[in-house]
Amino acid sequence: MIILSFERLSKRYGQTTALNDVSFDVPSGEIFGLLGPNGAGKSTLIRILMDIIRADAGEVRVFGEPRRREHLDRLGYLPEERGLYTKQTVIDVMTYFGSLKGLDRGEARRRALAWLEKVELPQVASWKIDRLSKGMSQKVQIASVLLSDPELCVLDEPTTGLDPVNVRLVQDLLVERRAHGRTTILSTHHMNQVETLCDRVALINTGRLMVYGEVGAVRRRHSLPEVLVHARGALPAVPLVEQASGNGNGVWRLRLADGVSPADVLRALVERGAVIDRFEPALAPMEDIFLRVVKEAQA
Amino acid sequence: MIRWTKIKAIATFEFLAAVKRPGYLITTFGMPVFMSIYGAVVALPAYYAEKRKGDETAVWGVVDRSGLLALSGDARPSDTRLPDALRKTLEAAGQRGAIARAIASERFVFRPFPDEAAARQAIAARGVKGYFLVPEQYLDNGDVNTYSPGEINLSLSDARRAFERLLRERLVAGLSDGRVAARILTPVQTNRSFEVTRSGGVREGGQAASAVRIIVPLAFMVLFLMSVLMTSGYLIQGTATEKENKVVEVLLASANPDEILGGKLLGLGGAGLLQIGVWLAILTVGGLGIVPLIVSSTVEFPRITLLLAIPLFLLGFLFFGSLMLGTGSLGSNMRESQQLAMMWSLTAALPMIMMALLIREPHGIAARLMTWIPITAAPLVMLRASLDPGYLAWWEVAGAIVVLAISSWMALRVGARLFRIGLLSTGSRPGLREVLRQARLSA
Repeated sequence: MIILSFERLSKRYGQTTALNDVSFDVPSGEIFGLLGPNGAGKSTLIRILMDIIRADAGEVRVFGEPRRREHLDRLGYLPEERGLYTKQTVIDVMTYFGSLKGLDRGEARRRALAWLEKVELPQVASWKIDRLSKGMSQKVQIASVLLSDPELCVLDEPTTGLDPVNVRLVQDLLVERRAHGRTTILSTHHMNQVETLCDRVALINTGRLMVYGEVGAVRRRHSLPEVLVHARGALPAVPLVEQASGNGNGVWRLRLADGVSPADVLRALVERGAVIDRFEPALAPMEDIFLRVVKEAQA
Repeated sequence: MIRWTKIKAIATFEFLAAVKRPGYLITTFGMPVFMSIYGAVVALPAYYAEKRKGDETAVWGVVDRSGLLALSGDARPSDTRLPDALRKTLEAAGQRGAIARAIASERFVFRPFPDEAAARQAIAARGVKGYFLVPEQYLDNGDVNTYSPGEINLSLSDARRAFERLLRERLVAGLSDGRVAARILTPVQTNRSFEVTRSGGVREGGQAASAVRIIVPLAFMVLFLMSVLMTSGYLIQGTATEKENKVVEVLLASANPDEILGGKLLGLGGAGLLQIGVWLAILTVGGLGIVPLIVSSTVEFPRITLLLAIPLFLLGFLFFGSLMLGTGSLGSNMRESQQLAMMWSLTAALPMIMMALLIREPHGIAARLMTWIPITAAPLVMLRASLDPGYLAWWEVAGAIVVLAISSWMALRVGARLFRIGLLSTGSRPGLREVLRQARLSA
């Protein structure tokens, strides 16, 4: 089921085109990676989704209907440029953000306390915001967004500035959301996160949609016809392979000839007595795809 | 569509955030203390000077060549001259100082001197403040001359009035009919003034009535202006903080600008009104307010004016608050925001600036015209309804309220658009072209 659709969205700021006829869908229950270099148009897209700015053309559909203000209660948003009321207490601010999403104050407060436990910060409830460290503040902001349990949530660089332990904590929260059928749009520059977390991605560059699809499919689509083989001892020569290169530690990268499938190569290797510990198609890293797409656009 | 749950959430947060601020608490409860101390510092020397003057008996000499006074020793006039109604009104309002000043004649003592030389000697020795010379032909021409040192003497006229009273008492002493004598001494014992309004009605008049009729709209204007100024200060400060703290996008992703603006106006306006309410309560409890004066006086006050005050206040507040916040949010920093909002403060103060003209001609062309202008409608209706309600047509009141309601709604919409533009703009203040362009886009 499609929870969000951008349909032919365009937006200009004076002479600058921020979005140019962008269309794609976000299926529900996924972690969706929104990628793109700085100034690509990601923030503009998100701001249009959240009705902070209006598109010049096109339509945003959420929950199967044109986006209305009332839908915002079911959406969550952690902007890239974010902050909290520094002179207020953590619990007051979290309660406020919860009540802004339609929760009554009592319920918002109860959930805020529960979420502070969840992000391992129960002790800061009565602290003033300006007493929090940067990482604490970041986690409080994420908890503030998630406490209303939004059906669709946009998180713009949620792990920036967090240590690895807290990065894992946030990632676990996103995975938990997915397990509960909630959808998360993750805007990030951390490509390893995209590979490990995201089900699907859209890559925007200079206001255009350059790449869209399931992460595995995208990686396959942008990969060379190669396989990685972890083998014991020497690897026998196989005619289906155009080129083979090893790193000396038993890991081989094999370039396949035209029309040859990885299964054919595996079969041929086994038949020739190779002892294989691991065999996998060599998928292009998201980072390489990102760099290649951006570079091609610049060229 | 405006969602009240959003407005309520924002208003509650803003209200609680404002009233918990140390600065707010200090201003709310510290201001009356400060004003009391300030008032005491200013008033105490004057009070003691007055008290000393009141306790001190002023001795004046009398050289009576006519022999009519027949003074054998020190004499003083026997009565007060204060009308009962005014005395009661002043007593109820705690204005005992005013009563004391009004009956100042009681503290004058008149000492006879055989001739002017003796009287002058007494002046030189500072034994008397001065002397009155009653000539032989006094009955023929009524001439009485006053002699006093060349110093400034502010009580000279009081002394003269007290001496006139003494003269009257002595002149009527021989009359057989006491009633005639009393009326000569006090021709008007009690007096109530009535005013015939332009619409033909009769109402309570006199100084107390006039004071109440002016004080009520004046208090309205002062409180209105204070609320607008204080609340706009909070609003601008709050918006600047939100820009600085970068919570703007989170807000806009949850509520639309109309709701944010409405919530802020309600919450911070409520905090401002609460502050004024506390001050008024302290003033009333302290007995220095106008409330006891209104309650205790026999003045026929148009109570409808007080009822009108509530909707007019709220609508006017909404009107100015929306525009001030919208305009103020365009500023790139606090100082710029305050400067931008300043033009509305000056506009709100216009009826105060024109007060003299408006009191003189509450139903003149200027006043009538200003009744229909949103920026001046609220105080003008209050002023006209208070000064002469019979001459203010019901349709003028209804019209002014309708104009104000429509203008407030429009101000809220315009303010919300400016607010949205202001919130999203960072760095330098957007120019007029940019504002118009953004306003078109956000329509």
